[in-house]
Amino acid sequence: MTQHLTEKDVRAIAQYVRIGLPEEEVGQLSIDLNNIIDSLKPITTYDLEGVEPTYHPIDGLSNVMREDAKGRSLTQEEALARASRQQDGCFVVPAILGGGDAS
Amino acid sequence: MTNFAAYGVREIRDGIAAKDFSAREVAASCLANIAAADTEVHAFLEVSEALALGQADKIDAAISEGRLAECGILAGVPVAFKDNMNQLGTHTTCSSRMLAEYRSSYGATCVEKAIGAGAIPLGKLNMDEFAFGSSTETSYFGATRNPWDTGRVPGGSSGGSAAAVASAQACVTLGSDTGGSIRQPASFCGVVGVKPSYGVVSRYGVVGFASSLDQVGPLARTVEDAAFALNAISGLDLRDCMSKDTQTDFTARLAEGVSGMRVGIVPAFMEAPGLDGEVKAKVEEAAENLEKLGATFVEVDLPHAQAAMSAYYVLGPCEAFSNLARFDSVRYGYCDPGHADLGSQYEASRGKGFGMETCRRIMLGSYLLSAGVYDTYYYPAAQVRTLITHDYRQAFEKVACILAPVTPRTAFRFGEISDPTLMYLSDMFTVSVNIAGNGGMSLPVGLGADSGLPVGVQLISPQFKDENMIQAAAALESCYDHVRIAPGFAEGKAGAR
Repeated sequence: MTQHLTEKDVRAIAQYVRIGLPEEEVGQLSIDLNNIIDSLKPITTYDLEGVEPTYHPIDGLSNVMREDAKGRSLTQEEALARASRQQDGCFVVPAILGGGDAS
Repeated sequence: MTNFAAYGVREIRDGIAAKDFSAREVAASCLANIAAADTEVHAFLEVSEALALGQADKIDAAISEGRLAECGILAGVPVAFKDNMNQLGTHTTCSSRMLAEYRSSYGATCVEKAIGAGAIPLGKLNMDEFAFGSSTETSYFGATRNPWDTGRVPGGSSGGSAAAVASAQACVTLGSDTGGSIRQPASFCGVVGVKPSYGVVSRYGVVGFASSLDQVGPLARTVEDAAFALNAISGLDLRDCMSKDTQTDFTARLAEGVSGMRVGIVPAFMEAPGLDGEVKAKVEEAAENLEKLGATFVEVDLPHAQAAMSAYYVLGPCEAFSNLARFDSVRYGYCDPGHADLGSQYEASRGKGFGMETCRRIMLGSYLLSAGVYDTYYYPAAQVRTLITHDYRQAFEKVACILAPVTPRTAFRFGEISDPTLMYLSDMFTVSVNIAGNGGMSLPVGLGADSGLPVGVQLISPQFKDENMIQAAAALESCYDHVRIAPGFAEGKAGAR
């Protein structure tokens, strides 16, 4: 098996996708990801010179235009109803740059 | 007590119209049955008793006022929805801790259309977390058990949807299929599962996994019931930019038979390593049955179908990585408390909120889309997608539909497949259909000779010609004894009262 990712890479990816990974899971996850990436190898073996990519399965889509019309959307109250914390009609988050108040 | 969830769509609709029984009786019997039967199966994550009874009363009121015509084609039919579909008044958890407390603030189009057509909403159904899986074992709320053998998985990701129908806890359920997630559990549980062509059913309000592959469809015990349900939920929806107005009556050709129909068979599928003998035998028997009914078989090649697996496991995680970026612990979803900065709140919430398979797919997608790696995997996968689509188009110049296996084997035992790459092989015959955007469905064809467990065959139709496969399936269905409810469940478990 080719090693595509080291454990260090796996930690870096986890950080990038904002998933806090317990250290004891890094080893098995590295094995799993390397196995999966290995199984994708066939995709690298085709002669695809000049083949256009397809990004969705419906051909011949064209832009659809319509008049602007008022519709119902969530109220501010509804939009905030599932927030972990809210205050004065806004979502509350901890300090973005760190060192803030954890209360 | 009669278990009305064991009835078909037509029986229920006609019975209610003739006032043989009321919608209220249907709803009450289903709710009582779920309370007893689902302790064995665990198909339901939430039972929406008040919504079910409210809808039933609405239908009964309409019928007593002579407004039967307004009740819709699913009037009084007990249905349930996969828990990635938003429904007002219910949770929508995607079987994840991330959304364990989430209550829908709006309804998915497919759910609203089913209810608008008169269906009685019984509740929300278990699934693999965020639909990542083929066994329903990755659900945060525990696995669903296969009603045919509760030591085995129901398949996945729509495992709850298939098990609920097979155990006669619902007449029709809705599932979603990104790489086989309707067809594979339908096959494992011995029910009909239809993945329509991409665009037939709106995806609005259904939590996205891989947006260019996801499609909603019905699971039911007969082809006719599935076709009724598809009529109810399909159609143009301006809130899904890929939705299509096909204006198709999916029941129109149920009785037409297959005389003169050309049906394709893919030799490479039939000779695929890993295809179990008992499954292969069932597909061959189905081919013989279709021939007896007057269909002609034509060998067709899908030269790039072998590349579909690796293309799918590139495209799927990449799109999932993008879709699951929205779970930020701030606007909704699990929030780990007590963090001093936003970064650590994100990481702790997502780390604890997502299960292991979800983490694997997000991380894989991120890696595959990273600079340098993108050109090695993602771009070729998108090119292969073009070739697979072209293969199907060429095949469908010769045939009206294709007959194939659904899965390489029958339902496996819990914990039997723990290696994710082996689990992914469950999808080997189904993913190419999503990649090309065709219709595909699983039709139960009896029990396997070795395992004694349900086996399904797959019928695949050209894009937006879903009526072709439905026509062939309805004809083929007539060749088999109709046993679609797992032993012991038909009468219901609520007991005589």
